[in-house]
Amino acid sequence: MAYLATFFWGWLVASLLLGLAMGWIAVVHRGRVVSHRVSWWLAALAAALVGAAFARIVPGRPGYWLDLGLIMCALYLAGCAVGSWLRDWVVSHSPPPA
Amino acid sequence: MHGLFRWSRKWWPGLVPLAVLWAIAAWTSTEPLEADLVARSTAALKDTVLDKPKIAVEGRDISFAAHAFSEDGRRSAVAAVEAVPGGRLVNDETGLVPEATPYVWSAERDVVRVTLGGSSPLPASKGKLLEAARAALGGVEVADQMNLSRGAPPRFDNAALLLLDQIAKLKDGKITLSDTKVSLAGMARELGGREAIAAALRNLPEGYLVAANDIRAPPYIFQAYKDPVAVTLTLTGYVPDNTVHASLVSAAGRKFFSEKVVDNLKASLGAPAGFANAVVPALGALSRLSTGTLVVSDREVKLSGDALYEAAANEIRAGLGKDFPQGWQYKADISVKPAAAPVDATVCQQLFADLLGKGQIRFESGRTDIVADSAGLLDGLIETALRCPNANIEIAGHTDTVGDEVSNQTLSEKRAQAVADYLVKAGLPANRFMPVGYGSMQPVASNDTDEGKAQNRRIDFVVR
Repeated sequence: MAYLATFFWGWLVASLLLGLAMGWIAVVHRGRVVSHRVSWWLAALAAALVGAAFARIVPGRPGYWLDLGLIMCALYLAGCAVGSWLRDWVVSHSPPPA
Repeated sequence: MHGLFRWSRKWWPGLVPLAVLWAIAAWTSTEPLEADLVARSTAALKDTVLDKPKIAVEGRDISFAAHAFSEDGRRSAVAAVEAVPGGRLVNDETGLVPEATPYVWSAERDVVRVTLGGSSPLPASKGKLLEAARAALGGVEVADQMNLSRGAPPRFDNAALLLLDQIAKLKDGKITLSDTKVSLAGMARELGGREAIAAALRNLPEGYLVAANDIRAPPYIFQAYKDPVAVTLTLTGYVPDNTVHASLVSAAGRKFFSEKVVDNLKASLGAPAGFANAVVPALGALSRLSTGTLVVSDREVKLSGDALYEAAANEIRAGLGKDFPQGWQYKADISVKPAAAPVDATVCQQLFADLLGKGQIRFESGRTDIVADSAGLLDGLIETALRCPNANIEIAGHTDTVGDEVSNQTLSEKRAQAVADYLVKAGLPANRFMPVGYGSMQPVASNDTDEGKAQNRRIDFVVR
């Protein structure tokens, strides 16, 4: 993992920044939300992919692409969480509009 | 926390650019990553001895194929590849180098190249053998057809290196090492090469033995040419050592009483057994010819030329006497020199004096047996006697003054008689010869010196 992080830090940082931006926007965004049912399906899909990655059942290049995708996804989600939390903090501490 | 869950339901739009990023990252990074892993895996195996190592990377999965020289070596090589950072899986396709039984290694030499074949235990020893072959063989091309195999006998490298030195001594041939047994076949490059190889094989490492040594050598040649015009005896070719060389040259000096001996002999190993015992009597036979060539090739003696008269030719054709060694072949191609024109008694006397001035008939010390070295001189005397068939000849025996006069007288008479008998045996009529003994009464030189005594011990031919 450390090897991959040093090898592709550019892509990983890009995923993180994308997550931060998305998280920042999500707090005040009024767009569509994912339904509960879809969320569960997505969580199950993510769990299955993580399981496949740790079990190393996907061989060769697809296996590598899966690892890469999951790491980027994880950093994106981490970025989203931090971004949303920051935006929320900024919103709750700013003076109400006059 | 509840907020986070609520917000997360609106994070999905970012997944679209994330997927694009992911696709670009996968597209651009896969090959550099694979190349990097190949380089790291190769570097990890740098100090491991393997045959035909092959590393292929797909994504982060490393396929590692190689032949190791031991189970420990194989395991440590796999562990080294597994420890490469970034690798995900190692497909272990390694095995052990095949074991050879029997363990055969060979070196074969033909006109243009030396081919090393069979098995060698490690890449290092294979390299060492090739390097040694190139060094030992000078500019000769060395072809490598050696495989790597396990199961070499102990001290294999030392044995093979020693055998490589021997291949350099061959003109063509093959040396095979099968387990610890050495077989050799072929033709040595030089005379004595066979012996040099046999001597070197005694230094094979302990436990190795020579199963078959069929190395042949070029023929061992000795030649002698008697030239009646230049009055020389030319010796060429090889003799086993300096002792035999000296004894052959001195024997030639005794047998060829009037010829100058031209000695072009060289000492070399590889002489067949009984060399001197065969060559000395053959030189004796050559000394009886007016002109002739003696060729000794390995164990074959060929003599050709002209004898001085028929009886001599028959004797020479018959063989070289009891000293001629067993296992040797003798081929004589002898003709008889045309009889010289008859001469009168005076000329005959002159011819006898000329011959006896160049050499003396010699006897065993204190006895009446004529030594074999005098055969050539006696043939000359007989040929001369044949040229004056009407002359009667006194064969006069003389001694020096050593010993008492009576025994000297008897000895001189018996020696004169022995010479007369020899001439009669050669076919001359007995009534032409009068053997007479003079004891020490007619010295031709002082009896005070050894030289003078030697001159006084003589047989004279006097035409009456």
